[in-house]
Amino acid sequence: MPPVKRAWPRAQALSANDLPWLVRHDAGRCVLCGACTAACTFGAIEAKLPPRGASAAVWEARKEKGRDGGEARRPVIVQRAEAAHACTGCGMCEKVCPAGAIRPVRNADNRWGVLSRTAEGSGGAPARRGGRGGRSVVETPSRGRTLDAVVIGRISQMTDPALDSERHTFELRSPLGRLLRPGELPLRVEGGRLALAGETPPVRWIYPVIFSDMSIGALSTRAWEALALAVAWLNEECHLPVRMSSGEGGVPTRLLESELLRYFILQIASGHFGWNRIIESLPRMKADPAAVLIKVGQGAKPGDGGLLPAAKVAPHIQAIRGVPGATLHSPANHQGLYSIEEAVQKMHLSMNAAFGFRVPVAVKCAASATSVAVYNNLLRDPYHICGGFFLDGMLGGTGAAYAVSLEHTGHPVVSVVRDCYRAAAGQGLQGRIPLWAGGGVGMNGDAAADAFKLVCLGADGVILGRLLLQLLGCVGNEHGRCNACNTGLCPVGICTQDERLVRRLDVDAGAQAIVDYMRAFDAELRKLLAPVGNSSLPVGRADALVATRRDVADRLGIAYAC
Amino acid sequence: MLFISTVNGHERMSTRDLLLRIKSAVEAGETDFRIEASGQHDIGGPLWNAQGRTLHFEVSNPGQRVGSMALPGTEIVVRGPAPADVGWLNSGGRITVLGDCGDTTGHCAAAGVIHVAGRAGTRTGSLMKHDPRREPPELWVLGTVSSFAFEFMGGGRAVVCGVDAGGGGGEHPAPSVPLGERPCVGMVGGVVYVRGAVPELPPGVRGLPLDDADLAWLAPGLASFLAAVERPELMKALSRWRDWRKIVPDMHGGDGDGAPGGRDGAMRRFRAHSWPEGGLFGDVLPDSGRVTDLVASGDGRLRAPVWDAEAGPCRECLACVRACPQAALRRRGATGGGAPCVFSVEPARCIGCGICVAVCPQGLWRLVPVPEGAPL
Ligand code: SF4
Ligand code: SF4
Ligand code: SF4
Ligand code: SF4
Repeated sequence: MPPVKRAWPRAQALSANDLPWLVRHDAGRCVLCGACTAACTFGAIEAKLPPRGASAAVWEARKEKGRDGGEARRPVIVQRAEAAHACTGCGMCEKVCPAGAIRPVRNADNRWGVLSRTAEGSGGAPARRGGRGGRSVVETPSRGRTLDAVVIGRISQMTDPALDSERHTFELRSPLGRLLRPGELPLRVEGGRLALAGETPPVRWIYPVIFSDMSIGALSTRAWEALALAVAWLNEECHLPVRMSSGEGGVPTRLLESELLRYFILQIASGHFGWNRIIESLPRMKADPAAVLIKVGQGAKPGDGGLLPAAKVAPHIQAIRGVPGATLHSPANHQGLYSIEEAVQKMHLSMNAAFGFRVPVAVKCAASATSVAVYNNLLRDPYHICGGFFLDGMLGGTGAAYAVSLEHTGHPVVSVVRDCYRAAAGQGLQGRIPLWAGGGVGMNGDAAADAFKLVCLGADGVILGRLLLQLLGCVGNEHGRCNACNTGLCPVGICTQDERLVRRLDVDAGAQAIVDYMRAFDAELRKLLAPVGNSSLPVGRADALVATRRDVADRLGIAYAC
Repeated sequence: MLFISTVNGHERMSTRDLLLRIKSAVEAGETDFRIEASGQHDIGGPLWNAQGRTLHFEVSNPGQRVGSMALPGTEIVVRGPAPADVGWLNSGGRITVLGDCGDTTGHCAAAGVIHVAGRAGTRTGSLMKHDPRREPPELWVLGTVSSFAFEFMGGGRAVVCGVDAGGGGGEHPAPSVPLGERPCVGMVGGVVYVRGAVPELPPGVRGLPLDDADLAWLAPGLASFLAAVERPELMKALSRWRDWRKIVPDMHGGDGDGAPGGRDGAMRRFRAHSWPEGGLFGDVLPDSGRVTDLVASGDGRLRAPVWDAEAGPCRECLACVRACPQAALRRRGATGGGAPCVFSVEPARCIGCGICVAVCPQGLWRLVPVPEGAPL
């Protein structure tokens, strides 16, 4: 028999074991239905005939029949050992396989850190991905997440009454807008009654949850619409007045010109994408937006602007944003603005003028070691222009970022919230500029507990982002599963503009999952308020908390318990 | 008829003495009582006549809990107002108060009828229930009710007419808000009819317009209520049905589990009446709303096989045709006899799995990415 001719791999060739995920296929179970290879958006697997040669089956056939069993070869599903087609661990193959014959397995020995920066297709460019950053914060075994080292340890029993979480009426509302101190209120006495003698800044009292700013473009139209639909339903059918920030990718004209606009916060970031359409709609707006949010920075990639890879800049995104189909970078800074005061001043004036001085204007920054200084400046501003300070911690998610920013820049949000609150309280100015905290809230699925703890530490409310996508069906996690939001190949139709993939997403079912979660969130928040004995949100009531880690207790100024 | 005056000079009869006196009279067969009370509690229940005859009470100046735990066959008329807990745990009595009532009127009532000619206080109707062995309990209030009304209501029917308790104004316009703050928290059953605007309701409870079945019960009931409270002249003003709403719990799990009508296409219906037609993006990207499976054929395929006759001779082994899990391959043209072998792929069946590519011994099939929106 002639020797089998092969091209043997060379030392620097990639093998599947170099990639972050290995695909395990059980040929004995496989019924060759083809579903796995058809479903995999990344092209990470393919059907292949096993190579010629004396496999165990062939060996047996030879012994029995004295001939080569080669014709009996049957295809198997194999992983492609190519960086551009690396398995992401999304698990769609496992989901569709009728035979339980295939699944991805995390590969501890991968060389991805090196390959993602050098392999063909990515050669020379910094590694990019989507998802959530800050793994170094979460995955250090001795530390873990700060909020998980904090428990609600002060229970009202015999000291003051605990409340009945089911029967008691709680006042779960948080401000969005600048609040004045009693002495600052423009009041005068008129015929024995108090009357307003001047304007007060607009304030909305809303549910202590804002859906984070995820742009049209980063998200598919269906994903964005599902979020918006859930917001409308929560407001109109569930009495949970959550608000949603538009993100910096424009706002659908149909929403701008609908009564529903009052549930939405219009974001303006450095790229100003979509604002031309917002402005054009002004004469036809039937309701004011909930607020305007000036995005200065983002927790997942502080100091970096927005990034929308060309693969996602579909024609309708080009139309809404007014750009061609290219990779879109938003500048890291608002051009022409050099300080946060200036940013807020300029935006505040322009936005207030545009919306008849009826809409609060808030600002969002990445949490940072400088956050307290910024907050102090805002607090001292005599014109009362800032209606909210949104702090975005480094555990926040993103549609696309440089991996180096995701993993190595930013600041956890917890201590920053605490510091800002204490700085304000030290001046008697707490509660004047609402603090909203985001970035990893609910990353273990337990958003109500995270929210409650952040509120006790000084936040007025929390911002949810990635959790919402997970409710829509996103399979990504902070341990490296999927996180391919930057590729345009999102396997569940959330972070892609490919209509074939977008069609995988059921808007109604997704919105329903978010609604269900928020109803559970609301009930759980009451379950936490009741033992503490608060009818309204215990903003800054850090005495309700104890820490099970000494370092956390010291840093946050709460009691240590063991 | 037994007349009891509870004040004798400077002596006031205790609640205990009054109740024992009534009880022994009932046991002796008395069925008609007129009681001039002075704040004694619990008048009117639970009492019964051994022969099943109806017991009548006419009471003035009672204390708390008039008609509490009243049984069927007990009829009580209070001349003037009554303090808290009128008809508490009412189990079938017919109680009419010709004045205002205090807090928790009808609290936990599970049967019987309560008529209030004036206003009712806070937590009125809370925890009303419906014992299915009896008709649903009724609670009629001519005026308004205070805060926290109908909390945790589990059954029965309540009607709040919202007529100004002062009785002024010939026209009796519907009040702007007939219910006080935070009504119907935790309501899981029953119905509250209100005349006037429905205030903000808690999750799981909603205000709806009346339908024919509501009117069939409400219209005759209203007539007998107004007769009982001696205000029949209000019938015309109160039967402008467009002023009325009903408050009911969501049928989909008012206990907080499950979604308020969110299942069974409710989100779709919500989208139909409260959402821009064609979706938010309908003007820039029309979307049929069709949802596809993770494995899709036709224009949902990410990849498609291409057969390339130039790549070499086809052995006509038909391995591809046999291996295709979707039976998407057809051989076109003559078989054998030297005519070229041509295959076609049926896009409506093909899912782009690439198995045909794998099995072809001559390597004549290739799997190519399909650009989005490419013609089939
Ligand atoms: S886990 Fe996802 S990326 Fe990996 S092979 Fe399966 S479908 Fe493809
Ligand atoms: S989905 Fe399962 S049975 Fe079908 S080809 Fe893939 S591994 Fe085989
Ligand atoms: S499922 Fe989609 S949204 Fe989730 S991590 Fe993967 S690509 Fe991103
Ligand atoms: S790609 Fe798969 S489904 Fe399509 S023709 Fe080939 S074997 Fe059949």
